[in-house]
Amino acid sequence: MSSVDTEPPARKNKLTLRARLRRDRSLLLMTVPAVALLLVFNYVPLFGLLTAFQDYNPLVGVWNSEWVGFDQFTTLFGDSLFWGSLTNTLYLSFVQLILFFPIPIALALLLNSVLSERLRNLIQSIAYLPHFFSWVLAITIFQQMFGGAGLVNQFLRSKDMSTWDVMTDPDTFVLLITSQAIWKEAGWSIIVFLAALAAINTDLYESSAVDGAGRWRRLWHITLPGMMGVIMLMLVLRLGNALTVGFEQFLIQREAVGHEAADVLDTFSFYYGIATNNYSYGAAAGLFKSVISLLLIWSANKLAHAFGEDGLYRS
Amino acid sequence: MGIELNRRRFLSVTASVAGLAATGGLLSACGGGAQQKTGANSDALRSALPSYVPSTSIKPDIASVAGGPDVLTDPGFLTYPSNPVTTVSGVPGKGGKYTTVTPLWGTIPPADNSFYQAMNEALGVTLEMKPADGNNYATIIPTMTAAKRLPDWIQLPSWWNANFNVGELAGSQLADLTPYLSGDKVKKYPNLAAIPTGAWQAGAWGDKIYGIPSFSSGFVISGGTSFRRDVLEARGISSDQVKSAADLMNLGKELTDAKAGVWAFDDVWTYLFPAWGVPLKWTVKDDKLVHKYDMPELLDALEWHYQLATAGYVHPDALAGNNADGNVRFYSGKVLIAGGGSGGWNASDHQSGTAANPNFRRDSFDFFTADGKGEPRIEVGSSARILSYLNSNLKPEQIEELLAVADYLAAPYGSAEYTLINFGIEGVHHTMANGVPTATEEGKKNVQPQTFPFLASPPSVISNPGSDVVTKDYTAWQAANVKHLKKPVFWNMNISLPRSMATADAAQAVEDAIKDCYHGKKKVSEVKEAINTWKSSGGGDKLVQWTDENVLQKYGTGQ
Repeated sequence: MSSVDTEPPARKNKLTLRARLRRDRSLLLMTVPAVALLLVFNYVPLFGLLTAFQDYNPLVGVWNSEWVGFDQFTTLFGDSLFWGSLTNTLYLSFVQLILFFPIPIALALLLNSVLSERLRNLIQSIAYLPHFFSWVLAITIFQQMFGGAGLVNQFLRSKDMSTWDVMTDPDTFVLLITSQAIWKEAGWSIIVFLAALAAINTDLYESSAVDGAGRWRRLWHITLPGMMGVIMLMLVLRLGNALTVGFEQFLIQREAVGHEAADVLDTFSFYYGIATNNYSYGAAAGLFKSVISLLLIWSANKLAHAFGEDGLYRS
Repeated sequence: MGIELNRRRFLSVTASVAGLAATGGLLSACGGGAQQKTGANSDALRSALPSYVPSTSIKPDIASVAGGPDVLTDPGFLTYPSNPVTTVSGVPGKGGKYTTVTPLWGTIPPADNSFYQAMNEALGVTLEMKPADGNNYATIIPTMTAAKRLPDWIQLPSWWNANFNVGELAGSQLADLTPYLSGDKVKKYPNLAAIPTGAWQAGAWGDKIYGIPSFSSGFVISGGTSFRRDVLEARGISSDQVKSAADLMNLGKELTDAKAGVWAFDDVWTYLFPAWGVPLKWTVKDDKLVHKYDMPELLDALEWHYQLATAGYVHPDALAGNNADGNVRFYSGKVLIAGGGSGGWNASDHQSGTAANPNFRRDSFDFFTADGKGEPRIEVGSSARILSYLNSNLKPEQIEELLAVADYLAAPYGSAEYTLINFGIEGVHHTMANGVPTATEEGKKNVQPQTFPFLASPPSVISNPGSDVVTKDYTAWQAANVKHLKKPVFWNMNISLPRSMATADAAQAVEDAIKDCYHGKKKVSEVKEAINTWKSSGGGDKLVQWTDENVLQKYGTGQ
């Protein structure tokens, strides 16, 4: 990195495209498979966005379906269910940002302070494990534990205490969703923070300890600044994905708490678009979501640059 | 087909309705099709439908019981007929080669396996069987129809008619079978003639026959309210004590013991709401079409179910929408009363149940009215929901050859042909154990009930070899309840809605609200709000008006 930065910019521009291609050919060659994957699975499907401006009929295909301009969007913006799911999405995203985002950071810091490597590996493995479960399994486990006929409630019943079916309570659904997400994903998310911690120069700790800095001072002045770049990057990505709070998790629990609490933009597209053969409507909702996400990620990135951090790329 | 197929055109042309009702010889109502100008008269479909000549070659152990017009119970067989009779003389095919596509919910058997070979030899044709994953079937077929590359013979389940746009395919890509089967012409194919007229009507579009029905039945209902007869009897409760919704609610109180992990009910809504006089979808009042959402009876039914859920008589996992484990809860006795689809009352259900509890016995409550007064009215569904179609590119002699094959496939239960189609060759795919064809390893691998019978099959029977109690209980329940079965408005009529109405017809938002209500999460008043929204901005009122004008007023109720 630093060698690139110190190169005078004038020299860089003198190289012709051809020369640069020749210079970087092995690197470029290595990116080909990834670019191909992106093209096939991310760019080619963009073609389907056309259907958002049509009354798409699968029987006659995209080319022969009737063009309706912005009709689908007009209907969409007049649909209270759509606004309901958008509100749900933003609310869930916000709560997850507050409650979920700091946890992997805290876990990484804690884990980093465990000295025994064996113990650390054990804790790490246990924390990773739920990531590999499917949502169906994760929710079944929650249902078996906390459901109306689950372990906890049956225990309370046997002691003649009042029960609480948290799995079907729409009022606390956001907390349920977040705790499920934390249980399943927090362990996995610490990896990137652990990597950032490992990159911090240990000399800094030693010299500050010699200077008399305590545990908290070292955390505040060395560890956190050292992790700031990664934290900002994760935050930018998280904000960009604010409208993507998950799909299966809500699909599976939609019946349990009712559609008003559980419908997010993705399930909206599915139930009111695909499931009722109203493909164009679903595509319109999907396109709306993508446009807003793009704006979000762009502004979050700007914000990161304003704070002097890298964000997604160096400005 | 093509660019000119825009929405406006659909609105003006697709009053494609096929319908007819045989009410003791009085025939009424039918329709014009997508490919036709509107207003085909009822005589056209009446003369088009095949004659019905019931098969008498094999006598069932428990005979059918007739209910009202076009309604009768399925015959029951306690033993598999010994010395199977042959109903088709000679080989039906003339050596033609055809491709077929059918949905299959299960493991796809290997291509060109020993069973397919045996079948092709018996049929005298080469059928290239291509079963496709049933779960993705609704998305696979539209790609074929879009490319106009349907196989020679395809099965299109009628519950996906709207997805496949069968009304549009009929005549353009699917062959018109009327010239080969109408009236007495069907007698050339005796086993096809033994399929009741109503089932052929389920595959009719415009005034023409397109679909070949499989598993047709005179007793088509979505299901009933099942209960654990063994458990209830042990507690001195008999099913005839339940004569009203209030009785059922009281039973809920009596049977629920949450501390012991037992709840009286699983989900029951789907099969119980007709007790309040709610139709499947439509009813006619003062010559006007009324949607069930506009009926106060629907709200009454919901109110009762809401109370059932909030009173704590429904298993929490059922309220949490976990339907997949519903049977497990029922087998293990964690719930004692559950809505049961009519397809689920069979030998494999009995085996699973008795594996959990040797005393397991499923039974179903007789139909009752919610207030316990008057006659219950249970609306029957379409007489056939599995229909196969031939490609319109086939030449007439090819169509005749395949109809002869279909005739073979529709051979009655227990015939020699039926045994081959369903169990393969004796000694290779099955052996006879206690008079029951039992699959060998080779049979388990290759002989699938969802391959050839999905192209054509005889009318349904009730037979559960090895589980006589199921056959006896089920036939007895059907016989006791057949009198309550009535034909709904637009019975067996294929209606292809304009695309713009599809969303209103699916009414996802209302159905969601209804589900939330019977799970105790939404009050009835909130469902009412959802219905009002559906009526005004959701296109509901337009749907009712369109259907009234274009179907009811033109073609009648079809009852």
